[in-house]
Amino acid sequence: MTQVSSGALQEAALPVRPKASRSPFIFWTVAILTAVMVIGPLAPIVMQAFLDQPLYVDEAALTTTNFVRLFTEAGMGTIALNTLYFSVLTMLIAQVFGAVMAVVIGRSNLPGRSWMGELLIWPLFVSNLVTAFGWFTMYGPSGYITLGMQAWTGTAPWNLYSLTGMGLVAGLSQAPLTYLMCIGAVTKADAQLEAAARSAGASPMRALLSVTVPMMRPALIYSAVLNFVIGVEMLAIPLVFGGPVGLHTVTTFLYDQGINAAVQSDYGIVGAAALMLLLVVGFLVWLQGRLMRNSDRFVTVRGKASRPSTVDLGKWRWPAFALVFAYLFFTVIVVFAGILMRASVTFLTPLVPFWELLTTHNFELIFSQTSYVRSIWNSVVISLIGGVIGTAVVVMIAFVARRSDFRYSRLLEYIALFPRSLPGIIAGLGFFYAVVWIPGLDILRGTIWILVAAFVLRYIPIGFGTVAPALSQIGAELDRAARISGAGWWTTMRHIVLPLLRPALFSTFALLFIHFFKEYVTAVFLYQSGSEIIGTTMLALYAQGDNGPVSALAAIQVIITALFVFTARRLLGVKIYG
Amino acid sequence: MADLILEQLTIAYGDVTAVDNISLSVPSGEFLTLLGPSGCGKSTTLFSVAGLNQATSGVIRIGDTVLFDGGKGVSVEPEHRNIGLVFQSYALWPHMSVGENLAFPLKLRKVNKSERDTRIKEALGLVEMSDYINRYPFELSGGQQQRVALARALVYRPGLLLLDEPLSNLDAKLRERARVWLRELQERLQVTTVYVTHDQAEALAVSDRIAVMSEGRIRQLGTPKEIYETPTDAFVADFIGSSNFLKGKLIERNGPWATVQLSNGSVLRAGAGKSELSGDVVIAVRPERVEVVGEPGENIVQVSLNSGAYLGSVYQYEVSGPGGHYRIQTSKEMSSKQAYVRIPPEAATLFAADSVPQAA
Repeated sequence: MTQVSSGALQEAALPVRPKASRSPFIFWTVAILTAVMVIGPLAPIVMQAFLDQPLYVDEAALTTTNFVRLFTEAGMGTIALNTLYFSVLTMLIAQVFGAVMAVVIGRSNLPGRSWMGELLIWPLFVSNLVTAFGWFTMYGPSGYITLGMQAWTGTAPWNLYSLTGMGLVAGLSQAPLTYLMCIGAVTKADAQLEAAARSAGASPMRALLSVTVPMMRPALIYSAVLNFVIGVEMLAIPLVFGGPVGLHTVTTFLYDQGINAAVQSDYGIVGAAALMLLLVVGFLVWLQGRLMRNSDRFVTVRGKASRPSTVDLGKWRWPAFALVFAYLFFTVIVVFAGILMRASVTFLTPLVPFWELLTTHNFELIFSQTSYVRSIWNSVVISLIGGVIGTAVVVMIAFVARRSDFRYSRLLEYIALFPRSLPGIIAGLGFFYAVVWIPGLDILRGTIWILVAAFVLRYIPIGFGTVAPALSQIGAELDRAARISGAGWWTTMRHIVLPLLRPALFSTFALLFIHFFKEYVTAVFLYQSGSEIIGTTMLALYAQGDNGPVSALAAIQVIITALFVFTARRLLGVKIYG
Repeated sequence: MADLILEQLTIAYGDVTAVDNISLSVPSGEFLTLLGPSGCGKSTTLFSVAGLNQATSGVIRIGDTVLFDGGKGVSVEPEHRNIGLVFQSYALWPHMSVGENLAFPLKLRKVNKSERDTRIKEALGLVEMSDYINRYPFELSGGQQQRVALARALVYRPGLLLLDEPLSNLDAKLRERARVWLRELQERLQVTTVYVTHDQAEALAVSDRIAVMSEGRIRQLGTPKEIYETPTDAFVADFIGSSNFLKGKLIERNGPWATVQLSNGSVLRAGAGKSELSGDVVIAVRPERVEVVGEPGENIVQVSLNSGAYLGSVYQYEVSGPGGHYRIQTSKEMSSKQAYVRIPPEAATLFAADSVPQAA
């Protein structure tokens, strides 16, 4: 022990001067704002469902006839059945392809599995609208590949203008989501578990199938419900492939009724249908929670986990590669190529080599129209600003819900995660009703800020899902040490937790940017001239049959997304989807 | 500095009472240890003093300053209690260097830069970590982190120092050295200290007084010597060191001594224990106090050897005899299956038979 004077430390203590704590104010502000954000768009929908006239009309009276009319007049039975069939098919196809790809790419010695895994998740970065249009361009009735097939064999055996066709397209577009959820389960599984099976006498393949694959069950259940819900609330694919032949799902019905009804849309019916959709999705999300309750049985990562080895495919290595590559080629590469090709030619046909039809006309058209340019600009601005605001909102909610002694922290988290059960089209409709209904909000109408608000609300759960796990990685003792050292709650959050959370903040921002940039469903009821975004402009152009400019816009969206993902990974070191 | 006083402190979570009506007074400058098995409420008590756990009822105060009063609904925020706390995990902020870790509490107290630097240097000097001021926590060993954590808890001169199993993450050799060092530092600074541990050897070595806790209550409060030599109940006798419990019947009481009859009829003399004892009792005796002898005699019973182990400094044997199974430690190797052992009356104490810990 060195002889250092301890005299100074025995002097009078140094207390922190107590002052009025600001944390209760922060807790209540965050809680109330969150509740208002979530309830804001819901209340008008519920109201409208029970009103006989538009809810901004003063003499509107309470009624239940909307529901009666919904089931009797509007052909809702067919629509409900269509939606159910479409959603189930979407889910089944997505689950089968996604899970198989996860096992093969995640755990076998397939050649090129790392770049193929990367390619496989690309559809997640762009909207269904873009993928729908890619499929339409290549596999639609007059699509490039359809026509090529007909010219070559005399017939093309598929017809995407059907419920099954729609389900196939939607399922293959959603397979990456299943893949992403399952790949974590199969690659993070504790290698010792399989090693134990091996020493009990199982072959490598048997150990994989009997031990690790069952571990995917929670991921499969979770993504199954998620994909079903996505199927129920999907707009683009039913619109592109069902619209021309009069096939309707709930969302296209709402879209048509809400937007396209030429003179006056039927508010009552729309409200009632929206409420029904809300209840169904809410039930599914609740069911998902129930099914996931005992998933601790499958928690495999405990303490020091070693990476599992890969299974040798032996002589099946190259045939497996051919199959996986073919899958990727036809469902990802061809779809993206279709958009880029269509955007750069006057007319896409297999009968004339496409380089003879090359043109910059489609892009010129986009860049010559102020409203088109504005929609690109708006998309970028909304995604950047919304991404920052969304990250801040999510972090504040996570701080109060997970890191404070706020009495209602559990309730706050529950409310904040509620938008999981809020389909985009309903969120958009709700915000639309809210601005026409609540006095004073009218100034937001037709601005990009209403879009920012709606997008942020809709994706709070996504952001929370990124922040919360990172937050739980930061030991609570670090907060406690700061508190006992004299820091109040908010000071602790700012100086201790926030700096440690920085990598997760970048990831959250990047994820929100991507989601906002591809979002369009939430915007269809909210945009006006001046606040259009890429997705809404694409829908408008598509309705006019201008496929060239639609492809050009889709291509621009893909390119900006690619640039953003590349930059975010390089500069911010962000991990996006793995 | 002033005394820490707990009055009828109770901490309940729903139906579970973690701390049950504890009263305790820690005089200024004392090193008091809360000792007990995991789940006994010792850390819960410590954190309620820090304000990091909300007590249910009772009073916590330092001198006249009330930190918590369940009756009046007073609860001072942890940041205003001016208490130093060292966590089991050390809880050094990983994004701050050693110097920044120490500066943070001083900045919160609006201490100016030059004053801050002096105090940080002083505190790091105390824990012999001055050379590490610019290192980050991940660059330090466990022992070094523990010292920095202590320096951080002392740098703002808290009125009370709380230590939550601060040595449990160190390896055995380092732990022994650290506890000597910790005690020296505490004596020099004369800071009132409450120390939580489940390690009885550690508690005996460092404390002025020990409070042995079990199931949310204090079973015994006393100096290490009192706790070890005159445990007040069977739980303490078993938890501190370890004890054998020989079952028997109390047949006679004579001043400080009692006579107990074991199951085979043999009779032992032992310390009388509490006056209200009667009927079924146990004789508690520590394994190292049992003597192996050559022939029968007074206070000697015959035992048969079940198993044995060589522990380096002693032999440890499991034997059975009248009154049950027991364990003895001796420097002599036992060669035969049968042996005589003497239970010295001065090393044997009576407790009620139903107070014996179930696990024993």
